[in-house]
Formats: sequence, structure tokens, C-alpha cells
Amino acid sequence: MLSSMVLLSLASAPAGLFVRRPHRHLGGWALALIPLTLFALLCTQIPAIIDGASIRETYAWVPQMGLDLAFTLDGLSLLFGLIITGIGTLIVLYTSYYMAEDTGRGRFYLYLLIFMGSMLGLVLAGNVITMFVFWELTSVSSYLLIGFKHDYPEVRRGAQQGLLITVGGGLALLVGLIMLGEAAGSYAFVDILAAGETLQAHPFYVPAVLLIFLGAFTKSAQFPFHFWLPNAMQAPTPASAFLHSATMVKAGVYLLARFYPALSGTPLWTYALTAVGAATLLFGSITALRQYDLKALLAYSTISQLGTLTMLVGLGGKYGYQALVATILAHALYKSALFLVAGIVDHETGTRDLRKLGGLRRSMPATAALAILAALSMAGIPIMFGFVAKEILLKATIESALIDPARYAVIAVVVVSAALGVAYSWRLVRGVFFGSPGSGMKPHVHEAPVGMLLGPGIPATFSLAVSLGLLPLAGEFLTPAATTVAGTAVAVDLRLWYGFTLALGLSAVAIGVGAALTRFERQLVAWPSPLPGWLNSDRIYDATINGLLGGATAFTRATQNGRMRVYMLWMLLAFLALVGPAFTLYGLADLPTPSFANLQTYEALAALLIPVGIIAAIRARSRLGAIIAVGVVGAMMALFFVLFGAPDLALTQLVIEVLSTVFLVLVFAVLPARFEELSRKLTRARDAVIATIIGITMAGVTYAAASNRLFPTIADYFKAESLSAGKGANVVNVILVDFRGLDTMGEIMVLFIALLGIYGMLRLGRARRREADGQPARSYVDVPTGIVQDVAPVNRVEA
Amino acid sequence: MYDSIVLRTVARFMLPLLFLLSVFMLIRGHNLPGGGFVGGLLAASAIILQIIAFGPDYARQAIPVSHLQVAATGVVFTALWGLPGLLTGQPYMTAFWLPEPIPGIGKIGTPVLFDIGVYLTVIGVTTQLAFILAEEPLFYPMRKKATPSEPVAPEA
Repeated sequence: MLSSMVLLSLASAPAGLFVRRPHRHLGGWALALIPLTLFALLCTQIPAIIDGASIRETYAWVPQMGLDLAFTLDGLSLLFGLIITGIGTLIVLYTSYYMAEDTGRGRFYLYLLIFMGSMLGLVLAGNVITMFVFWELTSVSSYLLIGFKHDYPEVRRGAQQGLLITVGGGLALLVGLIMLGEAAGSYAFVDILAAGETLQAHPFYVPAVLLIFLGAFTKSAQFPFHFWLPNAMQAPTPASAFLHSATMVKAGVYLLARFYPALSGTPLWTYALTAVGAATLLFGSITALRQYDLKALLAYSTISQLGTLTMLVGLGGKYGYQALVATILAHALYKSALFLVAGIVDHETGTRDLRKLGGLRRSMPATAALAILAALSMAGIPIMFGFVAKEILLKATIESALIDPARYAVIAVVVVSAALGVAYSWRLVRGVFFGSPGSGMKPHVHEAPVGMLLGPGIPATFSLAVSLGLLPLAGEFLTPAATTVAGTAVAVDLRLWYGFTLALGLSAVAIGVGAALTRFERQLVAWPSPLPGWLNSDRIYDATINGLLGGATAFTRATQNGRMRVYMLWMLLAFLALVGPAFTLYGLADLPTPSFANLQTYEALAALLIPVGIIAAIRARSRLGAIIAVGVVGAMMALFFVLFGAPDLALTQLVIEVLSTVFLVLVFAVLPARFEELSRKLTRARDAVIATIIGITMAGVTYAAASNRLFPTIADYFKAESLSAGKGANVVNVILVDFRGLDTMGEIMVLFIALLGIYGMLRLGRARRREADGQPARSYVDVPTGIVQDVAPVNRVEA
Repeated sequence: MYDSIVLRTVARFMLPLLFLLSVFMLIRGHNLPGGGFVGGLLAASAIILQIIAFGPDYARQAIPVSHLQVAATGVVFTALWGLPGLLTGQPYMTAFWLPEPIPGIGKIGTPVLFDIGVYLTVIGVTTQLAFILAEEPLFYPMRKKATPSEPVAPEA
């Protein structure tokens, strides 16, 4: 069932393309049935999972390598699966309204559903390799979604940055997972989790854990890799709400939580995760308060929540597990609601800038009510679910097993961030919905349609409903998830009122301080950034990318400067460096002495003509003379093929010779008239030495290859099988089209790709010249598109 | 390109002959020297001969196909004939043959069709390369547009 769920979601993705007509919502509602069905299917499993069962499915994938495609449903994956499909349903529905005018909606749906399937695959995966494949798929679909409006350069930058950071981390993760798998002796999660003690004693433990951290931190936007997440806000809002808040960015936390039973308990695990998580929490909260863009504010707030989750995975402990699962659920509810509200505000007013917005509570009362509900939960105000989650979070930090100064520091960070959370929640609600009407909004702002309000409405309502009446149920539902993380039974005990505890006191302090902070909003926003200027990860990223590109450009300019002889020089030197030492060390000694006993006079004559042709080509002063001399060499080679019984090769060689000469004639006009003026004497002497060494080495290698028989020759097999199995008498051709047909296919593809390269170079040259002539410059993107259209003239769009 | 009456006369009637020869080479390739590769080269040289004799504009009009597309078709065509194997659950590129040879052509099977793909690719790539070189304005800045009825003016 699990695999078919993932498959259903991925396979139904192209159905999204059929949603085309603007302002019609039937397609959107129909598409929403896909995640809804998955949600319902997962819901049917809740009772079994609460009873402690888990579902496993395994399919042979690459049995030769012992690789399986494995899926598992347990408490943790059920929690994530329900969030993915539940919020996914709302997102699909909401998108139909949010992008009502956009004719490209279908494409967006395609990416969105691919993402949903990948994310579902990620959380349902039963072994690390399966998980990794889906992990990368989510990065790629996230890239497509962020870059949806790819006409804008900042959108492309955001998409590329998100991809490079998450996929870069993914590479580290892959290595870490392989080390883990090798150390545990199996790639299945069950076996890895069972091998906890072996793993922690294994020398691979530290490198593997560090690499997995890197993968998780980049994916979950932990400091200092957080910077891609605000830039990912270039994505259309439904995608931001879904990927960059509720689901994908939690994948890193999911992975850490998944490995918790096996890898936790060491100081490395506890302190690294706690430190990074706490730093991210504090940094995100401070920065969120300083934003003017609604989505940027929510993005930094998401970063701070991701920090909380990472910290909780580090802390562990009875309350840690409970806080982790409760925060995941609470955050998914209120944050997706707020993102969708931000989308509605943007959609109806045309801006997301807090400075331009204001007073919307009159024109959009329903949206305002939902936003206030969700924001109250985000701020952790009593009777909201966010408050319950924060109570346990505070308990988890108070009861943590950290040594004392660290424990106090963590408690302080959590309280300060909670206060900041109150402040930025207030800033968001007040800035958008209260005060005087904003200056930069579209005229006649009106309430969003009901279908659109459902998106934020359901999670916002749940943020209140869960804490008011459903807490015992929610606790029961979250218990298996917490148990999965802990590895032992943990009962999630959610209550609005735990009595007069230290956590309650700290919570009250945070709310009080936060409320006080709101009085100083303007001063706080104007505060300088908490980080020094050079520590701006975004700028470091840019410098790295520019450095890479600059280095690559400089290297390419040096080795491939447009002069054929320089290309040849580097290629031949590289060949010499690779083959030369090995040949001199090992090949030279075994060379048999050549015997000339069977040499015929005509063979000797033909052989002698080759060096004559070469010397003539070298000494030729005119271009015509050089072409003819090179032709002689080729013709003699063809003669050799005839003499030694290879008529096919002779035929081809001759035609090739003719054609090469013709090609040289075609470029005759641009060949230098007199060769010796091209380079200095010293350069020529250097080239002569290199050419001689290469020639001798190549001749030696060829001779060694022809005279050594390390393996029995395969020629006899081909000769014997050609007619019977290949149904052809010409062995050479049967080898080409049948025995080694795949090689031939590769070769003609290389041929075709070389042609495309030349063709593209030519187009680029023309585009540059057109620009130089002062004619309207077209973008260089036109070059590849132009080539594609010349090769396959389908779907050509006439302007 | 080269305003020679002899070259043009020869080129004109060599075009069908060379094409025939190339098809001959292609078909006989499975049993005798020849094959898709050399056949393709011969066909390409037939077209290139027209470029040399009459210039690229005439050659384009005489053989009005996109050579880039011919090459692309060839690559796809070769890849296609590996599929029957996959569809029947055998390795990619497992050969299939018609039981009886066709008179005048010989045995027909997927490797022969594969060879036709090679033939097309080689024609397309070689001819397109020649056109690229012959039409490059950097190399031939003086070249004028010509029509078949109005041969190209001789060049210095």
C-alpha cells in the first residue's frame, strides 16, 4: 500500500497539466482529491499505529547489490505523512484560486504533485538509499517550484541557491549514509537502528554523523546554511507554505529524529545539535523581527522553529520527544495558515510590504480572524496549541541533561526567542490588519473567496480546536511518533494546565517581555544586524560561486584559448602524464624485439612513405602543400589496411581522407598562408620535442598492445558467430551493428553531440557579432533554445 | 564556390550516382565490405560535392532537408531498434530477424535497421559540418546569395 501511495502521487502528477483555464476551479478541486485520498488512506492506519504496529514493504531493486526499495510506516512517518497529504490537499485547492489568472497553473501543479510524491516517499522510505533518492527528488522539485517564475533574475538566483545548498548537503549526506550502512552492515533503517551500540563504537561514527548533520542542516536551513530559505521565498506562496515551511525543510529534522535511537547519546550529538539549533533559533527570531516583507518575516520565523526542532533532537529526554512531535504539528498548522494568509493579502492588495499594508480587518474580516488565530498560536498565547507545544518545549529545556551553564543558556535562548516570537507575531497582525489603511495597496480590496479561505482556515481552526477539545486525542495520536523517535515507549501528555510550574512562569515572562517589546517596535527594527557584515552567509555564497565561475573561466581561457595547437598541447601532455610513466616503468621491459623476417618490399615502401609525408607536412611552407602531404599519410594508412586484409577500414579511411581534404579546402581561406610566421622558433622547438616524445610513446604503447596477449583473443568468437548468430558474413559490420552495437550507438551519439557543439559555437559567434554590430542583442539563452528548435521543430512558438 | 564548368557538369550527374553507391554500400554491408558508416560518408560526399561545385545555397535547395534533423533522426532511429529486445524481456539490442531474406536486399533484421540509423547520422553530421564551414560568413565574407538558375559569381 505504501509504495502504491507514493506511486499514485508521482504518477498522477501529469494530471496537473490539464488544469489550464483561468478562473475555473473544477480542476483544482478534482486534483485536491489526490492528496485527500492519500490522507484518508493514511488515516485508516492511525488505529493500527497507535496500537504499536508498523507496516513494512520491501521490493527487490538491485538485488545484485543487495539494494531494496523499502517502505515503512510507523509513528513518525505517519505524522509527517498526514501533514504532507493534509496540508497538501489544502495547498492544491488554494493554488487554484491563488493562481487563478495564471495560464501556467498546470505546470505548477505538476511540480507540486511531484514534490508531494517525493516527500511522501522520503518519510515512508524504509532504507537509507530509498530515502536518499526521494530526498534529492524533493530538492529538485523545490528548485522547480522556487524557479516557477523564472523570467526574473532574482527568482532564478533563489532557485539555484536553494538547489546548490540542499543538493550540496545531499552529497555529504549520501557519503554519511553509506558509511553508516557499511558500519551497520545493512542499509535498512530497522537494522541501522538496531545496531546503535556497534555504530557508536565504530570509527565511522564521527565522520558519518558529521556528514549527516551537514545534509540535515542544509536541508533544514540551520545556521549558517539558513540563507537559502529566505531567498526561496521567490516561490509562489502556496509552494512556500508547503515546502519551505510545513514539509520539505523539516526533512532534515525528520532524518535526525529517525536516527535518534541509534546515533544519539554521545556528547557530539547532544552538544552539536543543541548548539546549532539554539543558534538558529535565536538568529531566526531576531532577524524575523526586522523584516518588512511578510513572507521574509515568516521565513525567518520558520528558521527559528527549525532551530527549535534541531535543538530538541539534540536534547532528547522524556519531554524532548514530546516537545519535538508537538512542535512539528503545531508549527505545520499555524505556519502554513500564516503563509496562506500572506498569500491572500498579497493576492488581494498587490503587496506584502508591512510598510504599505494596514487596516485590512475592515475589508477582510475573515482573513484577519484566521491570521489572528494562527499568530496567537505562533506567539504561544494560552489556550492555543502553540502554547501547549511551547510549555513542553520549556519543560524539555529545563529538564534536559545538559551540564548547567549550557542548560541555562538554552533556557535563556528559548525564553528570549519566545518573547521575540510574541513581538513579531504582533508586528505581523498589527501591520497588516490594524491601524490606518495602508498606502501601497490596490484600491477596492475585498475578502478572498471561500475556497481560498479554506486553505488557512482549516489549520488555523485546528490550532485552536486541538488545544480546546482534542488534546487527549492529539496526545494519543502523537504518542507513536514520540515513541519512534525515542526508541522506547513515551506517552505524549498534552495539557493546557500543568499547574504552577517553572515552565508556566517562564512562558508568562516571555509573553510579558514580548508584549513590552512591541512598544519599542520601531527601535528594534532599526537595530543593526546581530551579525558582523563579513559573516553574511548569502554574501559568502555569492563570493564562492563567483570564485568558482571565475576560476573555471580563467582555467578554460588558459587551456582552451581558441587556438587548436594549444588544445592539442594540453590534451597530449595530459595523455603523456597519464600513460607515459606507467609505460616507461612497466611496458618498456616486456617489449619483444621486432622481427623483419616476413617484411615484403612493397610493405617497406608504403611504410617509408608515411614518414616522408609527415616530414613534408612539417616542412611545407604553403597551406596547399601541407594539405597534400597530410593526404599522403592518410592514403598510405589506407593502403596498409588493404595489405593486411581490412577492406572495410581501407574503404572508410579513404573516404575520410577525401572528406578531410575537402573540409580543409572549405576553410582554406582562413588558414594562414605561410605557416612559420605563426609561432616563434623556441615554441616550435618545444612542440617538436613534445610531438616526438608523444609519437614514440604512442608507437611503443601500440606495439606493446599488439604483441602482448594477456587475454585470449575474442576475434575467433566473432569469426565463428558472425554468420550463425549475427546473420552476416562481414565480421566487421556484424561487430559494429550487432555484437558491439551499443558502442556504435555511443559513438554516433558522440558524433551528434560534437555536431551540436560546433553548431552552438557558430550560433553563439553570430549572436556576438550581431551584438558587436550594434544590432539588437538577444539573450544567449536563445542559443540553446535555437539549437533545440532546429533539431526538433516541435512546439515552436511564433511571436 | 569554384566556377568550373567541368566540375559542375560532373557534380550534377555524380549526385544520383553517389547516392545509389551509398545505398548499395549500406545494403551490402552486412556480408561484404561496406556498411552504414562508409555509406553515410559517401552520401555526404555527394552533397558536399554540390557545395563545392555550386555553393551552399544551391546545395540546400537541391536537397531540401535539415541535415541537423537527419542526424537527430538517425540517432533516435538506432536507439529505437534496441527496444524490441527490452519489450520481450531480453537485454537491450537483442537482434530480431525476419525468417526469410527479401530478394535483392537480403536478410532484414533489427541490426540492419540499426545500420540505417548509423547511415542517417553520418550523413547528417558530415553534411551539416560542411554547411557550417561553407556558410560561415567569417570564412567567406564576399559570398552572395545565389539561386539554382543563377550560379554563384566566381570568387577571387
